Amino acid sequence: MKILYSQIKELAPKLTASPREVGEALTLTGLMMDGFAEIEYNNKKDYLISLEVRQNRADCLSVIGVAREVAAFYGLAVKYPQVDDLNFGKEALAIKVNAPDVIKRINAVSIDAVENKESPAWLKQYLACYEMNSINLLVDLSNFVMIVTGYPSHLMDKDKIGEVISWEINKDFGEIITLDGTNIKLNKDELIIRDNKSVIALAGMIGAQYGSIEMNSQSIVVEMAIYDRVIIRKNSRSLRITTEASSRLEKDLDPNGVDYAMGFLLSLIRKYGGGKIASQMFNYYPKKIASKTILFNPKMPSIYAGVEISRKEVIKILKNLRFAIIEDKEMLKVTVPSGRTDIFLAQDLVEEVVRLYGYNNIPVDVLPVLTMTEDITPKHFYLIEKIKDILSALSYDEVLSWPLTKKGYNAVMNYKEMGEVSVQNSVNEDSSELRQSMATGLLAQFAEYQKKNLEYINIFEIGKVFGKLGKNYLEYDTLGILLYDVDKAIDKLRIAVETLLRELGISEICYKNAISKPAIANPYSCWDIFVAQENLGIIYKARQGNVYFAELNIANLAKGLNNAPTNPTIEITQKIVTLDANVVLATNESIDDYIKNVRKKIGKNNIFSLIIKDVYKLANDKIRYTIRVSYKELSDQKAKEIHFDSFGLTK
Amino acid sequence: MAMDNKIIERLKNELNGVVFSDDLKSLWKKYLGKEGEVKMALKEIVQMSPAEKSVQGTLIQEIYKETIALFEEKEKALQQGENDKNLKGQAESLGYEIAKVGHLHPITQTIRMLNKVFMDMGYSVMDGPEIEVDEFCFQRLNVPADHPARDMQDTLYIQEPDILLRTQTSSVEAHVLATYKPPFKVVCPGKVYRNEKVNKSNHFIFHHYQGIVVMEKVSLKDLFGTINHLFKKIYGSDVKIRFRNKYYPEVEPGVGPDMQCFNCQGKGCALCKGSGWIEMGGAGIIHPNVLSMAGIDNKKWLGFAFGLGLDRWVMAKYNITDIRTLLGGNLGYKYYENENTL
Repeated sequence: MKILYSQIKELAPKLTASPREVGEALTLTGLMMDGFAEIEYNNKKDYLISLEVRQNRADCLSVIGVAREVAAFYGLAVKYPQVDDLNFGKEALAIKVNAPDVIKRINAVSIDAVENKESPAWLKQYLACYEMNSINLLVDLSNFVMIVTGYPSHLMDKDKIGEVISWEINKDFGEIITLDGTNIKLNKDELIIRDNKSVIALAGMIGAQYGSIEMNSQSIVVEMAIYDRVIIRKNSRSLRITTEASSRLEKDLDPNGVDYAMGFLLSLIRKYGGGKIASQMFNYYPKKIASKTILFNPKMPSIYAGVEISRKEVIKILKNLRFAIIEDKEMLKVTVPSGRTDIFLAQDLVEEVVRLYGYNNIPVDVLPVLTMTEDITPKHFYLIEKIKDILSALSYDEVLSWPLTKKGYNAVMNYKEMGEVSVQNSVNEDSSELRQSMATGLLAQFAEYQKKNLEYINIFEIGKVFGKLGKNYLEYDTLGILLYDVDKAIDKLRIAVETLLRELGISEICYKNAISKPAIANPYSCWDIFVAQENLGIIYKARQGNVYFAELNIANLAKGLNNAPTNPTIEITQKIVTLDANVVLATNESIDDYIKNVRKKIGKNNIFSLIIKDVYKLANDKIRYTIRVSYKELSDQKAKEIHFDSFGLTK
Repeated sequence: MAMDNKIIERLKNELNGVVFSDDLKSLWKKYLGKEGEVKMALKEIVQMSPAEKSVQGTLIQEIYKETIALFEEKEKALQQGENDKNLKGQAESLGYEIAKVGHLHPITQTIRMLNKVFMDMGYSVMDGPEIEVDEFCFQRLNVPADHPARDMQDTLYIQEPDILLRTQTSSVEAHVLATYKPPFKVVCPGKVYRNEKVNKSNHFIFHHYQGIVVMEKVSLKDLFGTINHLFKKIYGSDVKIRFRNKYYPEVEPGVGPDMQCFNCQGKGCALCKGSGWIEMGGAGIIHPNVLSMAGIDNKKWLGFAFGLGLDRWVMAKYNITDIRTLLGGNLGYKYYENENTL
């Protein structure tokens, strides 16, 4: 919302603050100054102050609304623009209201023998401040009144439209040509103003060429209406039309303000265009909105602000803001002024008082001493933090990528049994699918680093992957790691993964040929990672190049941690006894299962370490594994005994 | 045999020429062996008259002691020299390969910095779902369907109108309020999504940092003190902050915390669009409707909440000029340097 400093002065004549001071006062009290320009208006130096008006203050999308704020801040009176005593005719306008559920109020009147013409220079110049082109006197006055009062109006050429005008939900018309000549396809669910032939306007948004005011218009119908804001917002969104009118009417404008705004518009038309009001005032206002009264404890502002604001100060501020007050013992009965459709609760009054008292009068340098509270941080937060630290210590770099990915990427990178989740309305067409694997982002990052000639590409990311099972949307915290090397390096990645897991406290890690493999993986170098019975994720080599990828589900990792031993510390009183055993298995036999079985036989209390020292491929689909066991707290003889028994070796 | 101190001088010269321990052994034999020069002289003392003994005998005794001392000294020196030779043979040189270090993303570093400030004050850290339902992203935050406040955020829908990607971490606030019993103090960092075209200064994915406190007694003064403390911890004690009234449907009264522009020190520049201030997010006293929708007695409990945008802070701190860099291929790290986080 822009406002001329001279116009604020006109409405608050006793204002002495400078234009910039006014802008700063408005900023602190809720209307942030986001522009300030020195201009020339009406042959005088003036200032145009731009303000951000938030969605709750429909009343401040007007000069009067802003002037009221300024006056309240400085404790001044507001002098409103004059409305003449108007004489109405006897003619009754033929208006039908066929959409009563979405119309709060309509005022309409006809004027005959009006002289439409070019606007006076001041009006043209005024509208130019608001980046509005001058059309003709009548249209320009309608726009002027909208800016000053906040209430949009719509003017029709009475001679060009049928006798009966109706407001209804569109069922008959497939298109409208608007005032600016744009042809808009209609959905046949819009609120429209029509006659027996055509659409005259999209109510609350924009008029049609049909029935529009032109320079030769002499008999006109002026309407000013307030609608249920929801239908204006819906129509505006579905037709992608935002106008000065719709941006005001999709907020909560007070229907009671129509009387003044309509009177002001008619006064100006009569003053500048002459004519005679031919009809009675059509006034559709079935549910008159009464002023709200709130029982208010004047101590509340002090409690909320944390500083003492006296009862006297509270009353003074509320009165400056036009609230009517009746003191009732300790309490106040506060009546909300017209236009303030944002005030419902005592807390709303607290805000009114405190914002005018001044946030800048509340101390900021006192660190609060708040009640001690229980730590409810979930464990997985600490787990994720630790994973990041370990991987960066292992010289991996963290990257963050887009959780939304290009079509087709999930198809080659996903390996989980879940459906794809898409967004319906992304303005970025090439990123509409939610990733199902962290590989989507890491591989994109890898490609970028390669383009830029980076030599070391060891990267990781922790984020969500998404999917759908039946009607349920799923999301998992997931770690993805990518390693690139000029040489074969799947084992480097395996060691990194194992170091991470062992650092976290997980020791019994094993790998199985992956059951479900992503299309991007080399199917002969792709394994599921297991800890006990828990599938943590996957490790694989990509089909092309020496690019290696691992993905771990953080929730499953946390489960694995719950079952992990908590204390690797031991007392070593005897020398460690290390013995090897050669084991030959068929290629389809699991070495992990074999080791698991041997561990059980040896007994975990006897093992210091158990590793596969060597693997050798034999003929006839057999593999020879050399398993090295280090025994603790056993004599040589006892260790040998257990070793031979456990591996079934002959002495 | 008459003996004088010249023998010591001679021995010293000969010892100087000894390099190997075998040579030392030969020399030892020459002077102190069974038939060695000094040993023989020592044996002759017995046959000397008392007068000779007191003069010549005493001298021989002194020469004998000094000879032994010189040999011991030389032996020690030789041993030392041989050790050095061995160690030299086993010596290694330092290489030139530099250790590559891993890095945490600037967003992570910033979130950690903020988390530390708040965890030191007893706050917990929470996260919530990114695929969200309308109820938790809007309705429970006092934004009913078709409320004009919805225009503040262009939503990415998965299944309009109910299933969406969260537009704000206030959705985590709604979950926390619905799940935990007050009192609590929580911060929630996380990704949020808006349906915006991606360019140099806008992204459809960015990061929020939400704070929620629910107690029997809190005030704007507590909120201001908390935010002031946070900004000073991050930007230093000279940072200037202002608090202004700003509407957000989930709070009442609402607050807009602004920081004086670090680029122009409040004079007005392109970064702060001439205002001298940078908007840092939104805050306020939690709206009573928000508490009651979560089943919290709004007559007993009061709360404050704040939501800060992280990405622009991070860009300013790390001199990143294009917001796309934060989530894209242009972010790199120097292999051999890391950030000083102390």
